[in-house]
Amino acid sequence: MAASPDPSARPGDGGSASAEPILVVDDIYKQFETQDGVLVAVDHVSFDVKPGEFLSVIGPSGCGKSTLFNIMGGLLDGYGGRVSVAGETVRGPHASIGMIFQEESTFPWRSVIDNVAFPLEIAGMPKAERLEKARHFVDLVGLDGFERRYPSELSGGMRQRVSMARTLASEPKILLMDEPFAALDEQTRLLLGDKVLQIQQDLKQTTLLITHNLTEAVQLSDRILVMTYRPGKTKRIVAIDLPRPRTSEIVGSDAFGHYVAQIWNDLREEASRGMRDDESRRGGARRA
Amino acid sequence: MAETSLTRTAPVAAPWLSPVTRLRIVIIVTIVAVWEAVAASGLLFRDVVPSLVVIGGALVNILTHVDFKVPVDSFELWIPEFYRHLWVTISEVATAMVFGGLAGLVVGLTLGTNPFLANAFERFLYYLGPTPKIIFFPIMIMWFGVGPGSKIAMGTISCFFPVVLSAAAGVRQIDSVLIRVGRSFRVNTWQMVTKIYLPAMREPIINGVRLGLGVAVIGTLLAETKLSNRGVGFLIINAYSTFDMPRMYALLIVLFVVAIGANALVGRASRR
Ligand SMILES: Nc1ncnc2c1ncn2[C@@H]1O[C@H](COP(=O)(O)OP(=O)(O)OP(=O)(O)O)[C@@H](O)[C@H]1O
Ligand SMILES: [Mg+2]
Repeated sequence: MAASPDPSARPGDGGSASAEPILVVDDIYKQFETQDGVLVAVDHVSFDVKPGEFLSVIGPSGCGKSTLFNIMGGLLDGYGGRVSVAGETVRGPHASIGMIFQEESTFPWRSVIDNVAFPLEIAGMPKAERLEKARHFVDLVGLDGFERRYPSELSGGMRQRVSMARTLASEPKILLMDEPFAALDEQTRLLLGDKVLQIQQDLKQTTLLITHNLTEAVQLSDRILVMTYRPGKTKRIVAIDLPRPRTSEIVGSDAFGHYVAQIWNDLREEASRGMRDDESRRGGARRA
Repeated sequence: MAETSLTRTAPVAAPWLSPVTRLRIVIIVTIVAVWEAVAASGLLFRDVVPSLVVIGGALVNILTHVDFKVPVDSFELWIPEFYRHLWVTISEVATAMVFGGLAGLVVGLTLGTNPFLANAFERFLYYLGPTPKIIFFPIMIMWFGVGPGSKIAMGTISCFFPVVLSAAAGVRQIDSVLIRVGRSFRVNTWQMVTKIYLPAMREPIINGVRLGLGVAVIGTLLAETKLSNRGVGFLIINAYSTFDMPRMYALLIVLFVVAIGANALVGRASRR
């Protein structure tokens, strides 16, 4: 039960073992100043992702996943360590990175189709062309028929699909997703996971998925990085050696169950540590 | 709006006038009746409360009495003088709205996005905001003369404050994730402002423009009443100083109607 990451566990279904990593996260450290003092959100996390690889980051709530996500996307400054894309140090949002945020992030003043066409509009694509392309991605996330609706007329899960489609429409080389399926029901989550996986395989997209859903992580990933509860460190990196192409049907298999059980063991330790921590803090606050 | 849709969806049980409409009618009729009673009683000094019939007559006179000659190339056009004054005031207010609104928007966006500048300057805006702007009128006369220039300047100053304050506050209430979305798609500054900030700030901006329109009208008219020979403000103070009360009330009525119309126009523009 060594807590250090296992460097040999790195198959990378899409990328060959010899390929240079396209995304390198090197010794990232980030702390926040809060009223209660300094809070270490990410504590020296390192990993790298091969071209075409699907990596998931899993960890209990509050362990620093979103912080890491924003750092990788070039949206957060003031951290230690280095993030590089294809050898180039990230100093702001990188052209080959597309991000899907955990928070509600559709533009409420744009219809579904105009939301999805946003990155294409920014890229200066002619109107007819970008609407055509946007429509394709709207269909892909199962929202055909809702093109002219506004986000306020959709459910939370539908809005999350709109923001997914918007980022997918920009066809990034590297896709970063922060709990994109969190607002969806189990069935939609599985089906949409299939879609994302299919696009990822088609486009040979490098994908990093942040989640706290174990099934989702095992279903989709080549490797899973398990983070510890605060401060967020790497607890373990697990290679998922399941055959591809995968679909949601794999969820029923024995091998799948084995991986889930293995990672759940690690996660339970961290999650209960997190809950104890919260309880003692609450107790402390009451006494103070 | 809710009212009309309500009566439309429930036509069966609906009385021929909704309770709200009936209450309004009762209030208006009461006011008119009391006004007329006071006017007829002669309790107050003569003409301070003229009969509505007399005010109506003055109103018709203002709107239709041809007394102003406009030379158009070779011939002359005769129109009621009132419209010339109305036009002066409207164009002063409109110009003030353009200058004050744009300046307020630009400064508000700058302060809202730049904590350093906001820290340095925003408190002054909060001090100056509630100050009666008429105290600047002497300065504006010196700078811009006694003509429309100083009136426009007064309207501009008045309009600037509500717009700048609501724009600065509006920038800060934008959901930060929307800005991160924009940055992640690598929008440039212009695109960030036009495609994210401004649409996300629609409501606070429209509220600011609404308030700005109100105070721009006040600022301009007040300036006209102080020193000018043109504009509705001048007409009103002129009617007052010649003690032509029916004419003064009639002018006030026209002013209300114009103000309501302008506000409705802003409201319509805001509904996209
Ligand atoms: N801007 C900030 N200022 C202060 N503390 C912050 C800030 N952003 C995050 N934190 C703290 O850093 C820690 C990690 O937050 P983060 O959002 O990265 O967690 P997470 O792993 O994404 O959690 P979840 O799974 O619930 O989304 C939390 O304790 C949070 O309170
Ligand atoms: Mg998070």
